[in-house]
Amino acid sequence: MSSILFQLLLNGIIAGAIYALVAAGFALICSVMKFMHFAHGGVVAAGAYFLYLFSLWFSPVPAVLLALISTILFGLLMDWSVYKQLRKRHASSAVLLIASIGLMILTSNLILIAFGADVKTIPLAQNNPVFDILGARITLIQIIIIITSIVLFGALYYLMKCTRLGKALRAVADNNSIAQTVGINPDKMYLTTIIIGSGLGAIAGMLIGLEQNLYPHMGLALVIKGFTGAVIGGVTSVHGSVLGALLLGMVENLGIWYLPSGYKDAIAFVLLFIFLLVKPEGILGKRFERG
Amino acid sequence: MAFSAYLIHLGILACMYVMLSMSLNLALGFTGMLNLGHVAFFGIGAYITAILSMAGLPLWLTFIIAFIGALLAGILLSLPTSRLRGDYLALATLGFTFIMAAIARNWQSVTRGALGIPGIPRLVASNELYFVWIGLSTVIIASLLFWLTRSRIGRTLQAIRDDELGAMVLGKNVFAYRMLALAVSAGIAGIAGFFFAHFITFVDPSVFSIDDLILMFSMVILGGLASLRGSVIASFIIFLLPEPLRFIGFPSSIVGPARAILFALILILMLIYKPRGLFGKVDLA
Repeated sequence: MSSILFQLLLNGIIAGAIYALVAAGFALICSVMKFMHFAHGGVVAAGAYFLYLFSLWFSPVPAVLLALISTILFGLLMDWSVYKQLRKRHASSAVLLIASIGLMILTSNLILIAFGADVKTIPLAQNNPVFDILGARITLIQIIIIITSIVLFGALYYLMKCTRLGKALRAVADNNSIAQTVGINPDKMYLTTIIIGSGLGAIAGMLIGLEQNLYPHMGLALVIKGFTGAVIGGVTSVHGSVLGALLLGMVENLGIWYLPSGYKDAIAFVLLFIFLLVKPEGILGKRFERG
Repeated sequence: MAFSAYLIHLGILACMYVMLSMSLNLALGFTGMLNLGHVAFFGIGAYITAILSMAGLPLWLTFIIAFIGALLAGILLSLPTSRLRGDYLALATLGFTFIMAAIARNWQSVTRGALGIPGIPRLVASNELYFVWIGLSTVIIASLLFWLTRSRIGRTLQAIRDDELGAMVLGKNVFAYRMLALAVSAGIAGIAGFFFAHFITFVDPSVFSIDDLILMFSMVILGGLASLRGSVIASFIIFLLPEPLRFIGFPSSIVGPARAILFALILILMLIYKPRGLFGKVDLA
């Protein structure tokens, strides 16, 4: 009995780590650029599919690097072609949200056309030894996911709290106009945010692609979990979003002890709904300033 | 012969989209509510129709219950979201859509889950007659909406969109008006779902798809917020636009996503370059 509990706990941590990786990029972009970048799901899916593509031709390490770079470029393309144009026209965050949903749909369908509707696996993931820890099973890739998340979140925290760049990003997130008066270039900060955010999304996509299968609409499913976690923890706070996503992963996996597993996704949506109604700024966030 | 049947088929679906885009415009363009749950109301109408008509209920009864069911869903959604605005309202209504989709997938005893409900009886024997019925319904609904938006209620809704605080100062019950707008909008979407179920004769969780939501939004944005005439015209334009794709000879596995890409592109380009659309009077939020 307790080993089932431990397995569920472990699954919760792994799912939480995955969602947190997605949520981190989403929340970073949301806090600095002040809109919900729904198409972040498309970036995550792109990461997975690029890795699939490059791993067909190259050995693991170059494939990962190429996938990372391609995905970041993809994220930059989305920003430059759509968001930047909307920013120039002083579009409200509502418009940006709808445009980003449009971009998300665009990306899923592009993937559908380019790669087909069938589920794919990345060949790299073939050798995946399973370990036994205290009666629960965990695979090598899952261990890599947990370790990578810890390292990345640590690095992200260090970046945001201890570096000049992080301070500049937080300044823009806090108050864009005043940040400009001290000489911070908002466009450069937006670019940096997109690069870091897309990078995080790319790594999330690659890890998820290795751990699970790839299918064209995986981006939508993941960004929903990601932004639910972000709302729970506070969309305006990066470490809050990470926490919220971890919480979501845990609640989902422990919840299916009582509920039929088909309702796993429904748990996320219900939590999203509850938090939006009761505490929209999340556990750690501040009230969202709307443009 | 076959081509005219194809045109009738297009006409029926176009009428359905006209109903959907006009009703979405009521909530989005006239009342300023960023309602991403519109496709959920459509799906609820479709499912109620499917379940009840398979259970043998007479047509007029399923029509009424589908309409009321969707209307109640609109009221239900407006209650907890009454304090939300802008992005948060968008997210909550989007969450509502996902919750409905999850219920459709999991409440297997009622909805048969992912298998869907096939074999819904057709309303009338021929498609031409069906086109007449749906066309008539669309005209009636359009007339009602034209009347509603030009009435005092319509003007109050627009006042709430433009300056909610001002409307409250003048003593308007903003909560009630927003609920009215969402309920009417939902009910009409439910009627569209009714016609969909009886035409396609198969309903499954994909009626709650976000792709369709983007389609509806692109129709409303192209036509212009707060312009019913714009919604009608834009619905025809956007719905008929990708039809030539079918004749170019792409495999059917490409036509579907290609259509979705086209709609998404139209939406994005409209938002950037012509956010007021063809006949719109206001900008989004």
